[in-house]
Amino acid sequence: MIFLQLFWTYFKIGLFTIGGGYAMLPLVRQQVIGVYVPEELFWNMLAVSEATPGPFAINLATFVGMNVGINQGGVLLGFFGAFVATTAVILPSLVIVTIVSTVFIKFKSSKFIQGALYGIRPVVVGLVFSALVMVTLTLILPNLKLDDLANSTFGGFDYVSLILLIVFAALSFVKIKGKRLNPLVLIGISAVVGIGVFGFAGL
Amino acid sequence: MISVIEREVVDKRNWCSREDIMDMVVIAESTPGVIAVNSATFVGYKTAGVLGAIIATIGVTLPSFLIISGLYFAMDAFLTNVYVAAAFKGVRICVAVLIFRAIISLFNLMDKKAFCFVLLVGSFIVASFTDFNVIFIILIGAILGLLYTNFIDKRQMIVCKVEDDDQRSEK
Repeated sequence: MIFLQLFWTYFKIGLFTIGGGYAMLPLVRQQVIGVYVPEELFWNMLAVSEATPGPFAINLATFVGMNVGINQGGVLLGFFGAFVATTAVILPSLVIVTIVSTVFIKFKSSKFIQGALYGIRPVVVGLVFSALVMVTLTLILPNLKLDDLANSTFGGFDYVSLILLIVFAALSFVKIKGKRLNPLVLIGISAVVGIGVFGFAGL
Repeated sequence: MISVIEREVVDKRNWCSREDIMDMVVIAESTPGVIAVNSATFVGYKTAGVLGAIIATIGVTLPSFLIISGLYFAMDAFLTNVYVAAAFKGVRICVAVLIFRAIISLFNLMDKKAFCFVLLVGSFIVASFTDFNVIFIILIGAILGLLYTNFIDKRQMIVCKVEDDDQRSEK
């Protein structure tokens, strides 16, 4: 049954990602793209999840669940799918954080847990970096399909996106009154620039 | 985000102390899941026990659930519009930049020993060029970290940057 499968997938995503929502991306890329949603739709969902309020990983889980449910037949199942995915992704947090809160002193001084975290942290950096490379490749090589590498080509290099990527990256390091630009401001700017460059200029 | 939580939870409602917020950051960053959700669960637990944890977790998730469920139906109509699709293309580029920013903050949390860089590069290569399950990559990292810190480099570990403040609060 697809809903059980969806629950299990998102439960694992919630359980094995330490370091926040972005740390979930490598696992989501491997277990969700091409399994529950086609790649193109996924990237759009990711963009919407970033641009709307709430933690983006939760938004994304709701989105994917909704899509799975609706494809099973109708709006009600859509809401059910969204409920299943969202619940599954927060359930491990709820249980683990509650337990850790009660035994925090032990948790902090546990050689076992701190040792494991010591190894997990750099691994997560490597994993998210790998996800970033994939995201960047799909932006500048639009004919590359991650879920169907055999039928994708390296043609159609999108230099406009590459230039914008560099511009936005530079912009994200600009400091105003000692503070870096809020992610939401950055998203707003990128939407407006997107309309200008891809919409009006038609690049 | 932390400053918003602190203002709401410490200054306005008096649910937690400032030291609790320090603990919250450490817990949220070293337990699985979304940091905002973990923070909410912790504050809920501190304030009203297990029921509090459940309610706070539902509270922080509900807006996402409602907004995204609603937006889902608009998305098809949205994306057929040339200008909305163009805006999305812009935002997608921005998402890559946000992921990069996240990597920098994750990088700041990790130790900078050669051992750590080996794990970093190793996990990058395996995740990029093989289909090896990401969960196993993480588990292997945990095991290697455990062995390294218990047998090779037994010095006191740095849990998090706010460690000093935590030790103060424990006294």
